[in-house]
Amino acid sequence: MKNRITWDFLMTRYPVFFPLVLLVLSVAINLYLQPNMFQLSTLNSNMRVFLPLILLTVGQAIVLIAGGIDISVGGIVSVVNTILATRVGLEGSSELMWQYVLISLLVGALAGAINGFFIAYLRLQPIITTYATSFLYAGFALFILPNPGGGIPSAIASVYRTSTPLSLPLAFYVIAILLLVWAYVSSTRYGKYLFAVGGKAEAAYETAVPVTLVQFSAYVISGFMAALAGIAITMLSGSGNADIGNPMTLNSITAVVIGGNAFSGGIGGVAGPILGAITLSVIQNIISFSHINTWWETLVKATIIVAALAAPGVINLFRRRRA
Amino acid sequence: MPESLSARNIVKRYGGVVALSDGNLDVHTGEVVALIGANGSGKSTMSKVINGVVVLDGGQLLLDNNPVHWSSPQAAKNLGIATVFQELSLIPQMTVAENIWLTREPMTAIGTVNRKVLHEKTEELLSLFRGTYKVDLHPDDPIVSLPSDEKQIIEILKAISFDPWLIILDEATASLDSRQVQRLFELVEDWKEAGKAIIFVSHRMEEIFRIADRYSVLRNGKTVGAGDMKDVSEKELVKLMIEKESVFEYIRKDSKNGENEEKPVCLEVKELQTVTLKGINFSVREGELVGIGGLRGQGQRELLHSLFGDVPYSGTVKLFGNGYKFKHPREAMQIGLALVPGDRGREGLLSIRSILDNLQLPSWPRYGFPLRIKKAKRDAEQVGESLNLKMAGLEEPVSSLSGGNAQKVVLGKWLVRKPKLFLLDDPTKGVDVGTKAEIYSLLTQLCDEGKTILFYSSDDEELIGLCDRVLVLHDGIIRTELSGPSLTKENLISASLGVSNGFHPESRTGGTL
Amino acid sequence: MKRFSVSPPVAALILAIVLFLLSGFLPNSYGSNVDIAIAQATNIVRLAVFLGVIAAGQTLVIISGSEGIDLSAGSVVTLTAILTYVYVSGENDRVLIALLISLGVGAVIGMLNGIGVTFLKVSPFVMTLGMSGVVTGAIIVVNHGTVSGRIAPIMTRLIARPVSPSIPIPGAVVIWLIFGVLMWLLLERTAFGKNLFAIGVNRVTAKLSGVNVTWTNLATYSLAGALAGFGGFLLVGNTGVVHIQLGQPFLFPSIAAVAVGGTLLSGGKGSYWGTMAGAIVLTLITSLLTTMQMPDSVRRMVLGGTLLILISIYGRQRSLRL
Repeated sequence: MKNRITWDFLMTRYPVFFPLVLLVLSVAINLYLQPNMFQLSTLNSNMRVFLPLILLTVGQAIVLIAGGIDISVGGIVSVVNTILATRVGLEGSSELMWQYVLISLLVGALAGAINGFFIAYLRLQPIITTYATSFLYAGFALFILPNPGGGIPSAIASVYRTSTPLSLPLAFYVIAILLLVWAYVSSTRYGKYLFAVGGKAEAAYETAVPVTLVQFSAYVISGFMAALAGIAITMLSGSGNADIGNPMTLNSITAVVIGGNAFSGGIGGVAGPILGAITLSVIQNIISFSHINTWWETLVKATIIVAALAAPGVINLFRRRRA
Repeated sequence: MPESLSARNIVKRYGGVVALSDGNLDVHTGEVVALIGANGSGKSTMSKVINGVVVLDGGQLLLDNNPVHWSSPQAAKNLGIATVFQELSLIPQMTVAENIWLTREPMTAIGTVNRKVLHEKTEELLSLFRGTYKVDLHPDDPIVSLPSDEKQIIEILKAISFDPWLIILDEATASLDSRQVQRLFELVEDWKEAGKAIIFVSHRMEEIFRIADRYSVLRNGKTVGAGDMKDVSEKELVKLMIEKESVFEYIRKDSKNGENEEKPVCLEVKELQTVTLKGINFSVREGELVGIGGLRGQGQRELLHSLFGDVPYSGTVKLFGNGYKFKHPREAMQIGLALVPGDRGREGLLSIRSILDNLQLPSWPRYGFPLRIKKAKRDAEQVGESLNLKMAGLEEPVSSLSGGNAQKVVLGKWLVRKPKLFLLDDPTKGVDVGTKAEIYSLLTQLCDEGKTILFYSSDDEELIGLCDRVLVLHDGIIRTELSGPSLTKENLISASLGVSNGFHPESRTGGTL
Repeated sequence: MKRFSVSPPVAALILAIVLFLLSGFLPNSYGSNVDIAIAQATNIVRLAVFLGVIAAGQTLVIISGSEGIDLSAGSVVTLTAILTYVYVSGENDRVLIALLISLGVGAVIGMLNGIGVTFLKVSPFVMTLGMSGVVTGAIIVVNHGTVSGRIAPIMTRLIARPVSPSIPIPGAVVIWLIFGVLMWLLLERTAFGKNLFAIGVNRVTAKLSGVNVTWTNLATYSLAGALAGFGGFLLVGNTGVVHIQLGQPFLFPSIAAVAVGGTLLSGGKGSYWGTMAGAIVLTLITSLLTTMQMPDSVRRMVLGGTLLILISIYGRQRSLRL
């Protein structure tokens, strides 16, 4: 072993490198198609659309780091969206809004706790369990709001849409806070536990890490982040729709994979996945700007997602061939 | 800090298999006790009893002469008993420092891990082995990027970081090179002086004589001798490890060495290399029963699996006169090979499927479409009868069988196909005495029918009692070939331990290149 | 340790019968009218056919283990239904080729899933979910908003109508029974079926016993795709119309049907008889909820809850055993 800069080394030490390259590439293409991309208004209108997925991706990333997966996040987004849209209403006061924002966060954490209970304490498979609860949550959202409608006061929505403190989009501040909080959490003992549990749960257990509690907490965090995403997307759209979170689940997983976190857990962070979420959103931008026939748009988007999911496998296959 | 730990009359059973029937050990601060024994004598179980990994079935642990009971491995750890295992307890994706201090990280005032202190403390520990690393080891290196010897060192450092008073080194030198072993022994001397106690489990005689103050010998789960190293010779230790009044009844008296010499060669291996194996050469004639000996993990499994097309290798393999390089076990099966893998549960059985499905798994394509189930059942029943398989019915799940009967199923699934060359990886492991005898007679019967068997066993007596020849593997090469008069227990154990036939320690330490 | 036990398919069938009898007490149900009861039962079985056929492929991938699942089944159903609808355009002599197209398109999509799962090591769930998006994209391209086509009279005759005026059993049910026998043959009377169970239990053992794990896995996903394709063909024969969400509502119930039928979600054990019984149970539950005028939202929650309860039972069983 003469050279220590192996692929594994690069991926464990600098997980953000690869997603950063992808982001720069996709931004460059986007800039070519949308030359005013970096004008504040354009930037803001882009970022406010990206933010819900970014929030959701952070939660998904943490679950994946801890060695699990959460298919129910889209359902939780929908539940939060429908709660806000029906309980606050278009004419609601800002106090009411705040009250239900808090309730939404609790609901999100509770939904995550249900997932965590089944997975960590009853030791069920994460994928199939959260798939089942995703139906529960999505059904519940539809129960609250059977037909699209309702909403939140436009004054509150516009705070989200148009705030640009210090001439920077609001989303930038949110991302900065996310990164700071993660920087803190990942350097606490709890942060180490997340990685240990996701890396090799048996070894962590032998070393007296509270594995079950850590797994449970990861789903609670994911539920909480999904609730934040739900609040953001409600402020963005201003209205309610029980299917709003549906397509976001797969996007959040794809963003995490693009962001360099391994499916097997124990690796990565949230910076990569945030870049991944932005990249994915920018790609969708590119598709809508590239004048692809509208009929083809879904196919192109989905193919890119599958390609992104398969990419680590293709790289591995290639590496094994060479070895 | 406690001053002594004793294990008295320890009994431990795994299912029906007795691992320890009367294990005894005393260890005091300031000394190194070597725990010695042949393969399967219960050494590992003994260390797992002391550090609380397994629950006792009988006997007693005394800490400073007061009885203690470990409710979990954690309880033992909290009382200052640390173990360095061969199976690594490290998390591959995390760094050296994070792994060593996991759950005991130094913290800052704001609740984050104090990286500076963490680094310093890790550097301090790493410096213990400084100079033996191939590339300078850094606290931030991820475990996954380290070679296996350095992983083992990190495992050692992790155990020391608890500042234990008793350290169990369970085969901890197996993957270290000579410089690293030398450094470890210097450290062991330091620990002794600092008033720590060390239990040293090893197969390597030379190391035992270098480091241990006292010894304790296990044989078949029983402690058969203990004393001071200075009062004992290597030859005497080896003798203690060997069964005197052997319970092994099966001796293949009609050794047919002469006969076999006229038979054609059916397996010829030249320069076979894998990750562990470093150039294996041998040939086997038809009808021979050839044993593979040596300590566990010297590449026996890899040898059998590569011959069966399961593990990639370089080198040439000739079977029945033709050269082959199998890419998949199925190709090997079609030529008439059969493999009984060493880990029955993980590699040999489909636990929740029926006995029939297990017996016929390799053979279904022979029963056409739609499968002639009745014929498959008849064939399976026949094999079951010939093996004296005790079962409630072919449709019962294989998990309902006892260890011995389950092993018969693993053997039986090949008998259905009537292969010509059997590759057996420790087929009597965890099998009761009665079934063992049945397996022995089956193997000799197969050889009499002209089948060929290549047979690894962790039970040395089996090899001596059954085999025409035994190839002893050590450090990935065939160290010695024993046959006829040279096939004795003394020679086999000496060769396995890397000791030359005259019972003189080898000057060279195993593990180096 | 002899315990009284009922095999899961039988248990599911008993559950179906009990549920059906209980449903008689509902306000606007069959009450005491036996003729209506029989007609309703027949109708439920007829509806269960389509779920049952779509769940066949699901049964295979779930048996193959390693978290095997096919979330692209719903969209494959929609795609092949539309392809059949468009290609047949009311011509009887095009039906056979349409069937082959359905099977072929399904198999190709399934094979892509299989390549992703076996060679690229993508989690089956994520791979097939992604593929579902691709197929939906393909549907939009094929569909272009609206399609013109028509199913052929012979399809309606064979699938939707009773076998003959004197035998009031719908053709679809007869097709399903034949299909069930074929599935049983595949699983229990071919080497492929035996190998499929083997890789579902233990892939190392399977490989060391000569099973080509990679090929078996790939073939399973391809076959599952083809069976979903067949499901689409049958479904359009019954509905006679297509829309872009035709197959999706069958996806989640198809997984639940497999679980109800006693197939281990962790793989290696199960039967298609069980899935058939499970399909009847789920169709019954859905139709009961409809009879009770429960909205779609409650239906979804009941389905999600059912699956959650099932995996709590079956999932825990397994962890205890290991």
